Amino acid sequence: MIADDASLTRLAGLAQQGDKAAYAALLGAARAWLVRYYRRRVTPCQLDDLVQETLLSVHRKLASYDPSRAFAPWLAAIARYRFVDHLRLVYRRAEDELDAAMHADDPDEPAMTARISLERLFEALPAPQQRAIELVKISGLSISEASATTGQSESLIKVNIHRGIKRLAALVERG
Amino acid sequence: MPNTSENLIAGLVAELKPVAPLRKRAGMTLSVIALGAGALGMAGLFGLRPDLQAGQPDPIALISAGVFLVLALASFWAVVDMARPYVGVRREGWGWTALMAGVLPVAAIVLLGMDWLRGEPMPLELDGGTCLRFGLGWGLLSAGVQVWWLRRGAPSRPERAGLLVGVGAGAAGIFAVSLYCPHSNLVHIGIWHGLTVVLAGLAGRLVVPRLISW
Repeated sequence: MIADDASLTRLAGLAQQGDKAAYAALLGAARAWLVRYYRRRVTPCQLDDLVQETLLSVHRKLASYDPSRAFAPWLAAIARYRFVDHLRLVYRRAEDELDAAMHADDPDEPAMTARISLERLFEALPAPQQRAIELVKISGLSISEASATTGQSESLIKVNIHRGIKRLAALVERG
Repeated sequence: MPNTSENLIAGLVAELKPVAPLRKRAGMTLSVIALGAGALGMAGLFGLRPDLQAGQPDPIALISAGVFLVLALASFWAVVDMARPYVGVRREGWGWTALMAGVLPVAAIVLLGMDWLRGEPMPLELDGGTCLRFGLGWGLLSAGVQVWWLRRGAPSRPERAGLLVGVGAGAAGIFAVSLYCPHSNLVHIGIWHGLTVVLAGLAGRLVVPRLISW
């Protein structure tokens, strides 16, 4: 596997000129890098889809790579964008599916998978922020119900949700 | 996983065609052409300010038009670069330029406030709405070019890119209007011309991210 950035940069420049062998080597190295990048961020069953989506983005957006710059920061930016997009989808799906699951006898697997992914991020939040987001944004409790459950004041619940989401966004942005 | 990814890679390699990298100079050239088209359009349709026609430009009008021109160019520069994503690249020059342009509305508000404190409130000319409408209208030219450019690229911060498209378009539009607008007082320029940039920035922030997602 080609790992050094100078080689990747050269391969990317050749790929832009239509060199298929260079492109195959570049995508192979990019895939290995993406697997490492996403492995720490998503559940194993989401890894393959995300890697493939990102490889497709690399293909579609190859013209946005500047051959006078290093390749790795470009790939990292593409990967981060796809990851943020993935999280948005997961978050929406988690809310929808958990809502549906609350009205069904058994929670289905995709909802739990999405939830596991979110919980990985939640680990970086202080406990009161985790709890506030969990109760209001995931479980669908009202602010006052969450306040009664946790003992935090209603305004503190709002502040914790706001700060928690802001912090999650920062964590994702930082990659 | 390697099997499915390898199949995908094989497919992508098979359909590879040479691509021309996005060049910043090309993006800037197109953006400046759009700005120039707006300025020429405004001057062609409505004519130049009397002081410009006489070759004796008013200093306040000249400086403020220059400030909006620089703000437009700084925003274009950042937007064009945003089409080529890189982790670790900071594009903050436009912020300092926006801060500098922000002096105009702040100065206008200070002047209005001082007049009000003296008991001599200055009436705010409502014909500034015309500058605002034309500024936003001509700004659409620049916004269109910038959105098209971003759609060709891969902007990784669409909200920031949208804000900058709006700010640049508003500044370009109001620069075009400045060539015609007969007012030379700081209150008119700070409030109405400044408001054009602010509204365009908000509109860009709200609308553009949806147009450039990928």
